[in-house]
Amino acid sequence: MKRTIFSNQLLPWLLLAPQLAITFIFFIWPAMQAVWQSFLREDAFGIRSTFVGLDNYARLWGSAEYMNSMQVTLIFSVSVTLLSMGFSLLLAVAVDRTLRSSRLYTTLLVWPYAVAPAVAGILWWFIFNPTIGILPYMLDQIGYDWNHISNPNQAMLLVVIASAWKQISYNFLFFVAGLQSIPASLREAAAIDGAGPVKRFFTITFPLLSPTTFFLMVVNIVYAMFETFAVIDSTTEGGPAQATNILVYKVYFDGFVGQNMGSSGAQSVILMLIVIVLTVIQFRWVEKKVAY
Amino acid sequence: MASINLDNVGKVYPGGTRAVEGVNIDIADGEFIVLVGPSGCGKSTLLRMVAGLEEITEGEVRIGDRVVNRVEPAERDIAMVFQNYALYPHMSVRKNLEYGLKNRGTSRAEIDRRVAEAAEILQIGPYLDRKPRALSGGQRQRVAMGRAIVREPAAFLFDEPLSNLDAKLRVAMRLEIKELQKRLRTTSLYVTHDQLEAMTLADRLVVLNGGRVEQIGTPLEVYRKPASAFVASFIGSPAMNLIPASAVPHLPGTGHAGLIGIRPEDLHPAPDGQIELKIDAVEELGATRLVHGKVGAEMVTVTMPSDAELPETLRLDVAPGAVHLFRKDGGARLT
Repeated sequence: MKRTIFSNQLLPWLLLAPQLAITFIFFIWPAMQAVWQSFLREDAFGIRSTFVGLDNYARLWGSAEYMNSMQVTLIFSVSVTLLSMGFSLLLAVAVDRTLRSSRLYTTLLVWPYAVAPAVAGILWWFIFNPTIGILPYMLDQIGYDWNHISNPNQAMLLVVIASAWKQISYNFLFFVAGLQSIPASLREAAAIDGAGPVKRFFTITFPLLSPTTFFLMVVNIVYAMFETFAVIDSTTEGGPAQATNILVYKVYFDGFVGQNMGSSGAQSVILMLIVIVLTVIQFRWVEKKVAY
Repeated sequence: MASINLDNVGKVYPGGTRAVEGVNIDIADGEFIVLVGPSGCGKSTLLRMVAGLEEITEGEVRIGDRVVNRVEPAERDIAMVFQNYALYPHMSVRKNLEYGLKNRGTSRAEIDRRVAEAAEILQIGPYLDRKPRALSGGQRQRVAMGRAIVREPAAFLFDEPLSNLDAKLRVAMRLEIKELQKRLRTTSLYVTHDQLEAMTLADRLVVLNGGRVEQIGTPLEVYRKPASAFVASFIGSPAMNLIPASAVPHLPGTGHAGLIGIRPEDLHPAPDGQIELKIDAVEELGATRLVHGKVGAEMVTVTMPSDAELPETLRLDVAPGAVHLFRKDGGARLT
């Protein structure tokens, strides 16, 4: 990389200032506020707050509801990541095999990414609506009763599908680019070396895709943990009976609906730590395991 | 080990583009055949058809006594060395060599024996546990060859294996490939656009142009008796001079020819020579020099000893046996 030497000490800081200001105002400042808030407890009317130390965290540790939310988040993010990545890899491999009209498929497959998460949520809410939705109607024809408003598993399935669907386009683009950067001669060499299409995929293509796969895994888990808020809010609102109340939704609900700012602050700090740890672990592992 | 026969082989792509037409080649067991031609002449396509990587749309390819038109690449009992080596970057050299054997269910002991043997032949023993990216171009090339050798196939297919190497290494590897093939006696089909590589490696050359075979023969046959004006201009360096017969009316025996061809090394200065060359430029090559000039309006090149004197115009003579005659239309050889 080219290295530029500034004669003036001030200029580099000035050039960095807009980015630093944005990071500070929209990330560091609120994060610090959340940390501060997590040590306070407000009275019922929000008039006075008392410093309670780590009490908010201790209460969360003992809360069955919070532990449930942890578990729900784990199931939810793993399912969303697996479903969206698995499906987009399948589509990407299919497009990679079809040389002609692959541009058309690619364009069509990228469309869902342009849909806002809340709109995607509403869309799936309509499709799965137990009263007016087309899918419950069709499921009813084969004798299956779909009602995610009362059935926790079906509610989870709904938010997983809606969230994964949103992310497929993004994953798909990266997988296609990854597949196309693998030289055709490698697959041809493997074919001559006696590996059938399935073996070829698992011993050559998939290992060579691993940098893409790991990058997408980080992105998808972070997506599932944070950006799916709108999907949950527009479909199940965390229900029924807390079945889809993922951590990020609980932060919002406890803070802005339940007005329990201290607990909400503590929860967002924990969430922040989880993502930091996850990202560090994954990138460390990626560097060791994926480089070839 | 096996013979390879191409019987009226042709290739038309789905879009209607024709890449190869009516190719007949019979390759004997243990023979080293080089397919040579300019880029786009169909030589790589032809090789890939033998390998099974391209569909054969016309004719028949036989390896041994078996027609392989519909046989998968893996079942054709061939090994291929690619231009970019196509080593599996996530596997060590050892794993690269083992991959094809493992896929065929070869026993562990047999795999170890063959890998050790190939490593010995190619002197890649010290690198067996490295990844390909930690190897130099020449070492990668050896590993690619090793991957072909361990399979002990009926035939080797080479797709411009030396074109990614620097000039010096290319000459060294060329020799190694030749020696290796002599030693293993494995039928080989080798594609290159480099006529020098073709000349030095081949038992027999196949010169291709525009998807058709122009000539098949030993390197010296092709050099001495090129079947067409195209082959004449393609094989030999510097290229043969091709000029219209009308430009040199005094030359005997050229009566009904359209084009005459004379190699630069067959033109000699002579006080009473019938060809008059006006010198434009001189290239010094050390032992010899290339003299470029005009005969009438035609560009002609002459190879001369570097100590010869250079006037502004040279009178040149040519031995009668060294004049090649070609038809004007199509350039086929006349005599």
